[in-house]
Amino acid sequence: MVGFLAEYMFTVIYLSLFVNLGLSLFGLFYKPHYVKKLIMLGILGDTLNMFAIFLGYRAWPSPTTPSRPPILLTYPFENASVLVEFTSRAVDPLPQALVLTAVVIGLAVMVFLIFLGDNLFKHYGTLDMREIRRLRG
Amino acid sequence: MKRVVSLAVLVTIVLGMSLLLALSGQSFYPSENLRWLAIVYLNTTYNPYLPDFTVWSPEAVTAIVWDYRGLDTLYETTVFYLAIISGLALGRGVKRLNQKPTDESGLSPIVKTVTKITGPMILAVAASIGLHGHLTPGGGFQGGATAAVVPVVFIVVFSSFYLLWKGVSSQRMLTLRSAGLIGIGLTSIALFLAGLLLGLPSYVFQNIAKAGSPLSMPYDVHGALLSGTLWWFNLFEFLAVSSGFTLAFIILMTPEAEEKW
Repeated sequence: MVGFLAEYMFTVIYLSLFVNLGLSLFGLFYKPHYVKKLIMLGILGDTLNMFAIFLGYRAWPSPTTPSRPPILLTYPFENASVLVEFTSRAVDPLPQALVLTAVVIGLAVMVFLIFLGDNLFKHYGTLDMREIRRLRG
Repeated sequence: MKRVVSLAVLVTIVLGMSLLLALSGQSFYPSENLRWLAIVYLNTTYNPYLPDFTVWSPEAVTAIVWDYRGLDTLYETTVFYLAIISGLALGRGVKRLNQKPTDESGLSPIVKTVTKITGPMILAVAASIGLHGHLTPGGGFQGGATAAVVPVVFIVVFSSFYLLWKGVSSQRMLTLRSAGLIGIGLTSIALFLAGLLLGLPSYVFQNIAKAGSPLSMPYDVHGALLSGTLWWFNLFEFLAVSSGFTLAFIILMTPEAEEKW
């Protein structure tokens, strides 16, 4: 029963990520307002980061027992059994390392886009993309 | 017709992405096993039995970010620098107001008092996240982003000009950020320069001594784990990220004067 529930919840989360992806792409492509596009860009970035984190997820061997966090903090080092236990429990660190930089870079790019929107508003007096397109030429 | 086309575009993208993901891995249900690459990282991140490969950091994510894939992170820092700098370039040439904040400006005294108490606490937590990044989850990026919360809260609660009048000007933040970036650059070539001076083989971005290159950053100072370059990278990245975001927030949130230069 617990195994079934875990599998069910995992599938729900996984499908909801794809729903999220479709919604954010819809907003990014077809919503005319600049701020809405920015919000949807943020949701898109977070969804993709979530995908990466999912790739590195690791199931706990027995779902009925509570999981213990993998901590490797015996200094000075005692024996190899600590290391063996750490490796047997820790999740994949590589997606987390990629995501953590991607989050900060995404925030910096968002700051840049907000500056860009500020300038757009100053030039055109509106952030509606249809209006800005009409003003061109 | 247009709606059908837009729906078709979205469905194609989402289905194509899911197909790609399904093809790239056999199954997306999480298993108990890891890929061999992850096992290599976890095994070598803090392992006294492999002194040629270990990073001496119990936190595998920071070890990957600044040692195994250090060059990658250097260029990501460059992207961060470029994004902030191009944002500032878009906001240049605009005269900003600079008024003295009064007691009436901002939110109520209760909120102000609470913010005065919690502001330093947020900074302390951010410094802890940043400087213990080689021991516990965290690091320069996360700590810097946490520290950048403080100026936003102060601007919202007190006044747009509060930080300027307290001496947190954009020029000082720019200086601090440049200092952080210079520190990252110097840390990455520190062992290379030492190798040049001593006539020993060494590499750019070297952290712990490898086979054929005996130079090593001090990873253990009086019983405290420093993990070689990781601590320094975290410190300078903390400075660069927090001051970069503070700079952007100050410039974004300061109102403009009416007439332009």
